[in-house]
Amino acid sequence: MQWINWLSFYLWIAPHLLLAVVAVLLWKRRLHIKFPVFVVYVWYEIAEFIVLFTISETGPHHQVWYFRVFLVTLAISVALRFGVIQEIFNNMFQEHGKLDSLARISLRWTTGFLLLGAVLIPIFAYGQTSNNLIADLAWLGRGVAIIQCGLVLFLLVFSRLYGLSVQSYMFGIALGFGILSSVELANWAMRAGGLSDSTARALNLLTTGGYHIAVLIWLGYLFAPASVIVQPRGVHVGELHHWNTELERFLQ
Amino acid sequence: MSPVVFYVAIAIVLAAVFTYLAVGRRVGTITIDNARSLMGSLDIEAFRNLVDPEEDAFLQSCLPADQFKTIKRERAWAALAYARTLSHIALEFSRFGNALRHSPDPSLAELGREVATGAVHLRMLALQATARLFISAAFPKLPQRSLRSLFEQYGHSASLLARYRMLERARKQPSQPSLA
Repeated sequence: MQWINWLSFYLWIAPHLLLAVVAVLLWKRRLHIKFPVFVVYVWYEIAEFIVLFTISETGPHHQVWYFRVFLVTLAISVALRFGVIQEIFNNMFQEHGKLDSLARISLRWTTGFLLLGAVLIPIFAYGQTSNNLIADLAWLGRGVAIIQCGLVLFLLVFSRLYGLSVQSYMFGIALGFGILSSVELANWAMRAGGLSDSTARALNLLTTGGYHIAVLIWLGYLFAPASVIVQPRGVHVGELHHWNTELERFLQ
Repeated sequence: MSPVVFYVAIAIVLAAVFTYLAVGRRVGTITIDNARSLMGSLDIEAFRNLVDPEEDAFLQSCLPADQFKTIKRERAWAALAYARTLSHIALEFSRFGNALRHSPDPSLAELGREVATGAVHLRMLALQATARLFISAAFPKLPQRSLRSLFEQYGHSASLLARYRMLERARKQPSQPSLA
């Protein structure tokens, strides 16, 4: 199964190379001012990849170390993703005073319900008890994926409901995280069921593939154009003021 | 259904919803025509009349209780159609305003910002009115609250759009030859 090895190698390396392009684009467009946490996330993911790749390639005897570093970096990565979602939320609603407070309250309730759902559904629906580290990790990962999916869905649906201005790149960042979280939900759910080594390796393709798609979405939306309008050309500012004054006089 | 199948099904549905949201996103050239045609289809005076609490009070004083309940319900359903149209108009205003914000002309960009902010407020009020009208249709005996702020916001948004119309006309008008 040479091709699986090649494919998994490609899916591990390629998204991180593309992430470097995303990082450069973010810097060039000065989006690090508006999205500092996302920029940190992108650089962090690149650094994490370098560390894990180095440990993996130095020899099979480093497997324990690899797993430990993987766990720590995964925890930080998850925390950063929550930070990015909060950042998108702040950028989306900052200009709309009344809607901002409504959105904050709704987001708090949504988070509460998602947290409750992530904890209670597995306990009451299946009476599942975990008995090893991988199963615990899968249980936790699945819960986190549910919460992240729900939050991204909330952001996209809420902004659509109120017709908010969501710039292409902001929508792209949220969409990328949404797709990534739904892939991770499927991944952790399957891992919680217990897998053989070969199936677990095959499942890695799903996560790395999902990550690749998310990076491509970020990259695509960074290049996507904004909405344009058929607007009057050649109207001077003075003329505009004149018309405004006339209209205000007319409306009085 | 096993837990694995359950979660994988949720994940697939979520991925499909995200894809749908991405595909349904309207990006491209936006014109004012959609908002204009929707505004043309909305008889704001008729809507105002349907949700007027004084009109309700008058009907209540003239009609027997059962008949009033039926008429109030019918009025609420009719008003709901108007509220929905107003909601759509708000979305069109918002799209238009947001697109106008990208204008290189600072005055137009500022006008776009005002239109977009007003549209979000209008949408909020229209959704609120929709909920109230549903309650009114379900429980006709409950007193109807005035929707004055909704009409005020609609007037404000329409006046902002009128500004843009003036600009359009100014652009289309050929320059007058000088008499001097």
